[in-house]
Amino acid sequence: MTTDALARPVRVRTAPLRRISSQSGLNTAAGHLLMVLLSIFCLFPVYWMLVSSFRPANAMFETSLWPTQGSLENYTTAIDAIPIARMLLNTLVFSAVSTVFQLLTGILAAFAFARWKFPFDKLVYTGVALTWLVPFQVVMIPNYLLVAHMGLLDSILALILPNIAAALAIMLLAQAMRGFPKEVIEAARMDGASNWRILWEVLVPNLRGTIASLAILIFISTWNEYFWPLLLSRTAENSVIQIGIQMFMTAEGNAWGPLMAASTLASLPVLVIYVVLQRQVVQSFMKSGIR
Amino acid sequence: MFRTTIIASLLALSTAVPVLAQTMAPSIDTPVTIRFYNYNLATAGLGAEATQKLINEFMAENPNVTVEGVGYSSADSSRIQADLAAGQAVDVVQTVFSDLDFSVNNFGAQALEDIAPAAEITAHLEGMHPNGTKLGVLNGKTYGLAYTFSTPVLFYNADLFRAAGLDPDSPPKTWADIKTAALAIEDKTDAEGFTGGITGPGAVDWLLQGVVRSNNGEVISRDRKTLKFAEPEAVEAVAMLRDLYDAGVYENYDFAGAVDGMASGHLGMYLQTSALQGSLVAGAKDNYELRSAAMPQFGDRPTRPNNSGSALTIHTTDPLKQRAAWELMKFLTSEHGYTIITSEIGYLPLRPSIVEDERYLKAWVAEHPLVAPNLEQLDRLEPWDPMPGPNYRQIGKTMMDAVEMSIFGGADVAATLADAQANAQALMP
Repeated sequence: MTTDALARPVRVRTAPLRRISSQSGLNTAAGHLLMVLLSIFCLFPVYWMLVSSFRPANAMFETSLWPTQGSLENYTTAIDAIPIARMLLNTLVFSAVSTVFQLLTGILAAFAFARWKFPFDKLVYTGVALTWLVPFQVVMIPNYLLVAHMGLLDSILALILPNIAAALAIMLLAQAMRGFPKEVIEAARMDGASNWRILWEVLVPNLRGTIASLAILIFISTWNEYFWPLLLSRTAENSVIQIGIQMFMTAEGNAWGPLMAASTLASLPVLVIYVVLQRQVVQSFMKSGIR
Repeated sequence: MFRTTIIASLLALSTAVPVLAQTMAPSIDTPVTIRFYNYNLATAGLGAEATQKLINEFMAENPNVTVEGVGYSSADSSRIQADLAAGQAVDVVQTVFSDLDFSVNNFGAQALEDIAPAAEITAHLEGMHPNGTKLGVLNGKTYGLAYTFSTPVLFYNADLFRAAGLDPDSPPKTWADIKTAALAIEDKTDAEGFTGGITGPGAVDWLLQGVVRSNNGEVISRDRKTLKFAEPEAVEAVAMLRDLYDAGVYENYDFAGAVDGMASGHLGMYLQTSALQGSLVAGAKDNYELRSAAMPQFGDRPTRPNNSGSALTIHTTDPLKQRAAWELMKFLTSEHGYTIITSEIGYLPLRPSIVEDERYLKAWVAEHPLVAPNLEQLDRLEPWDPMPGPNYRQIGKTMMDAVEMSIFGGADVAATLADAQANAQALMP
């Protein structure tokens, strides 16, 4: 009887489990299919860029998935036309240094806003926040005049200077620091930690996720910076890769082949960095809540 | 007393004029560096290569002159504005013709008559097509010499013409012919009939001016004080384009879409600058036969094509730099200069004789028949009038937006243009 009683529910329960299991499998398959389709949708332009970079000019508009007359000519043309390696290095230096400085200034300023009360602190914070709303075009000419008077025209340093501090970094980090448990900071203070130690040994290590995701945002937005380098750089040797790519778009028509070759080469460093740090990138975005 | 003063003033002026006319140094005895702002140098295309080649040749011939080429975006000229504000030397500029008025009044472009000896100007202009030398004239003075410029050319796909039962040896001559040919292409092939670079982002108004003029209209009066793009001739020209669109044969493409459509062989006809010739030829190679014809006319009225492109303007006030800039200008607009500009970039030679000269373009023209309509239109060339005043870009945009809405947006042509003209006229100086 007991066995029956036990057996009956088992029989009764196995059928829904199978149904649930098969339904769950279907849902998983549908989810995977959707993700595969979305992945193809996202990756196809990258694939098309790669394929187009091998097509000659008279086959550029073929719709075949694989180039019928593939050659490396576009790559040699692009490398001959613009100093791609130098531009990539400039872009890397520009992006990396800007990221480091924005994080550094952001951490210090955010700590001040989050931890201390000082006269007009809210006003200053609002002022910083308002700078976020000012379009770059408004400050472009004053910035240009400043770097021109400093004798820095056509230099990477001039590209970096207006990017060493940003309202976004300060605001994001200030919010993260405000949300950090006060008890932990008080405990550190009771242990005799100075503000400097609290910042670098308590707050910063615990805000790794936010800082990492912010670093990625800053790096990517600086990597894609176009307008400021366009105004400032006079020579291709001192310019960045986004300007180099745009140089293939001319009033005499767009050189799609070399443009795609240059774009492919420009994508490689970021792609490599992403592939190597993929797990950390995803985790940091998940933790910080930035998507 | 008053009369004596006037006479004395006139005498003083008459003695001052020759001095004013020769502000530049007579020769270049000491090393000098000039900055040449050039939008071709901001690209990686054929224009940049040809420009750098010419600069290098000039410096080799003039060892005392160093030309520092500075690339800039002609879309907004922000670099020139910023450099002038920063006190940077802006010596010579490749100025888009539509920016000429602003360049004269805000960037300090100098009239050649004010800085160069008259005899030298006359000697240099000798051999240039008289229609071409007028292109850089503003308010009676020559501020620019036509440098890279062209006229509207109708590129067409001869293979599509054959497939549509049309004769590629008899390309469309009138807008009515364009409609007929485009309808045939649309009906009998998978391709599209026609598009033109008249409107769209970055199109400015050079082609529109030529189309409207060809219908005996103007977009602006010749004294550049009154806008006229809502007058009946202009309305009729825009309405004709609207009719093409309504008939389904005028494709609403932007610049890149149109060039790519033509280069890929999916477009029957494309009205644009000859500067695109290189791109189109590269796309057509081994794919289809690319040909060219003159811009279409309205009925039996001869066309009045105007130019696209740029002029060279001198901005420096330093006498030595002015001399160096003038020598560079003369070199770039010499027989050799136009040979490079035509054969390597695709623009029009302002010196017609070099087309027949074996030392220059004769062989090249024989190998490149596509340039023929462009050369033929030189005899009817009229200037691309720049809009005046500090709001010139907004005036142009107001006009172009209205034209675009009239052709593609379903708006009433006459009312839309009239409304835009009233708004734009208020922006005129």
